[in-house]
Amino acid sequence: MPLIVTDYSWTQTDSTVFISVPLKGARAERVDFLSTEEYLKVHYPPYLFEAFLSEPVDEDRSTAKVGNGVAVITLPKCSNAFWEHLVITTYDKEKKKEVRERALLKYQERLCSESRSKAEKQQAEKKYALETMMKLEKEERDRIVKRKEDEREKTTAELAAWQLRQRQTAETEAKLKLQDQRDRQNKLKAPTEKQEKGCSDGAKVKLDERGNSEATSQKTPALLPAPRRAANIQVRFTPRVFPTALRESRVPEEEEWLQKQAEARRAGNADVEELKDLREEERNPEWLKDKGDKCFASGDFLGAVNAYNLAIRLHSKIPALYSNRAACHLKLKNLHKAIEDASQALDLLTPAVPANAAARARASVRRGSAFCQLQLYAEGLQDYQAALKLDPHNAALQADTQTIRDILQGSATGTH
Amino acid sequence: MSSPLDKPQIISHFQKSLNYTVFDSKWIPCSAKFVCLGNYARGTGVMQIYEVQQGEAQLIKEQEFPKPIKCGTFGATSLQQRHLATGDFGGNLNIWNLEVPGTPVFSVKAHKEIINSIDGVGGLGIGDGAPEIVTGSRDGTVKVWDTRQKDSPVANMEPGEGETKRDCWTVALGHAFNDQDRCVCAGYDNGDIKLFDLRNMSLRWETNIKNGVCCVEFDRKDINMNKLVATSLEGKFHVFDMRTQHPTKGFSSVSEKAHNEYPSQRSKTDSDDLAVGVAGSVTLLQNATLSTQPIASLDWSPDKKGLCVCSGFDQTVRVLIVTKLSQV
Repeated sequence: MPLIVTDYSWTQTDSTVFISVPLKGARAERVDFLSTEEYLKVHYPPYLFEAFLSEPVDEDRSTAKVGNGVAVITLPKCSNAFWEHLVITTYDKEKKKEVRERALLKYQERLCSESRSKAEKQQAEKKYALETMMKLEKEERDRIVKRKEDEREKTTAELAAWQLRQRQTAETEAKLKLQDQRDRQNKLKAPTEKQEKGCSDGAKVKLDERGNSEATSQKTPALLPAPRRAANIQVRFTPRVFPTALRESRVPEEEEWLQKQAEARRAGNADVEELKDLREEERNPEWLKDKGDKCFASGDFLGAVNAYNLAIRLHSKIPALYSNRAACHLKLKNLHKAIEDASQALDLLTPAVPANAAARARASVRRGSAFCQLQLYAEGLQDYQAALKLDPHNAALQADTQTIRDILQGSATGTH
Repeated sequence: MSSPLDKPQIISHFQKSLNYTVFDSKWIPCSAKFVCLGNYARGTGVMQIYEVQQGEAQLIKEQEFPKPIKCGTFGATSLQQRHLATGDFGGNLNIWNLEVPGTPVFSVKAHKEIINSIDGVGGLGIGDGAPEIVTGSRDGTVKVWDTRQKDSPVANMEPGEGETKRDCWTVALGHAFNDQDRCVCAGYDNGDIKLFDLRNMSLRWETNIKNGVCCVEFDRKDINMNKLVATSLEGKFHVFDMRTQHPTKGFSSVSEKAHNEYPSQRSKTDSDDLAVGVAGSVTLLQNATLSTQPIASLDWSPDKKGLCVCSGFDQTVRVLIVTKLSQV
């Protein structure tokens, strides 16, 4: 239960009522005022002061001042009349309650509307600020654009003026030239007329020449130096594997690709011990094939076979190696081995495309000749015919095929 | 607020949309006309001459050619004649009189493959000496031509027998400060830059800038060579100081990704008491994005300062005005 404060004092003038309520030691922040036009409440726990005003007051203009342990409330009167009493004394409890509730409601409404209006005002101000900002920026932009436009127009005008001047100078030059020509013609005409009377063509020609030489001497500018003596300069380029242009950002990718290619060309069988002893180039099947070819060309067939063996061990899918080794075996008279190698080569050349037609022809010829040397002429003929189909214009091949055919027929007729 | 507007501004004067791919655009000296070179979609070459009138371009002349034209220059022609030298996709070097563009004044099959770049010196009243034209081609050779000698080039820089060839993407002439001296600088797609001296007919300097070289140019053709700028792929460019050549290190350079300031000391001596050039620094003055497609060529007007024409792969040719260049 709050303690009712009764030791308040009040004074009045014609237009205002002053009430002074002792605060009894309460701090200023803890004092709560509620005032409407007929009711005033000052609450500072545990004390409570309320007054049911006898006359209505103007609540919008009521003020309260807290200081020096006293709260002074100023209530401007609605009508300038003298108040007998500050408070109405004949209120019963019910009425009092009603009045209190009304007052509370009214107070709340007032606070609500106040806060609403404050929010609206804030929003309006923000909007205004934004609009002015936008206007300023737009002005700035327009200014820059205008300056650029001015510059542009100035340049256009200058250009147009310059063009006009050019045209004028060109016209005057043309006129001068025309004038010049006419003058020269007149000059030439006068003496030629005179000479005509003397009728000597030679003189006329001479005069014309003089006229021409005058004109040309005006045209030839300062003598240019002779063209240079032609020469070639050899250049060498920084080596680059790829045909595309060099880009720094692509270099790591390119290096990686090259490394992978190099590794792929190297030994597939990395577990063979002897390969560790080989030099770098001897691990390259292409290099070994070259070596084998050279040996074959120089007659060292055994050396060629060795080279091809090693190459095949490194990379067993190159048909050229088998085909060449077959040729070596033929020379060494290892006919069965030759047939094997040639067959292997033909197997590897299985997609029968025009690109490997020459290789297939060679392999067939080698196998055919091996068969013939083993006197298996039927198989030999088959192979030679296959080779002939691939290479129909080879005269030596045709001759050989004919020979085999004859031999077959001869043996057929011979043995029955 | 005033400082951004004090910098040189790049203002688009106007642009013209074309119906063909334009590779090169050049101003015709002593006039407000420029010529555009390119190729139609049907595979034939085209040359169009426009005149700048009242803020837009008027087409004056048009000529179609059997082969697309890649590049052109006015560098080797006199101011009175103003003949255009062009290189085309078939490797032909032609010189045209623009009044009569049907038949060339001079024609030679310069290269086996497309002529990527062409430059001329000795004309237009700039420099002394005979007018010469240099062409660089995809067949890896760089040839210098004199129009008085039709059948063979005056100089031929070619790879040796059996050497692999790289595409030559750009050529430039410079160091033409007297009758005899000339230098040709060539840039290749593997990043090589080679400088040839035509007086001694030898290779004077070479370097590799690790990216394909798109364009090389001397700052002025008719002086003792001063600066050389080389632009390359990956958006890099290098500026070389050509006044001081070190015997092994060559020319010093500064490179930037994407106002060349000279240092206070342009050359100093290194450990072997040989002069080494000191490159300065470069600053970006202004940049502008004009199009989403690459700009293939840009040419300054020789008559009006700040006026330039540029053409891009968006089939548009633009004339730009750059202001405040005198303050640079």
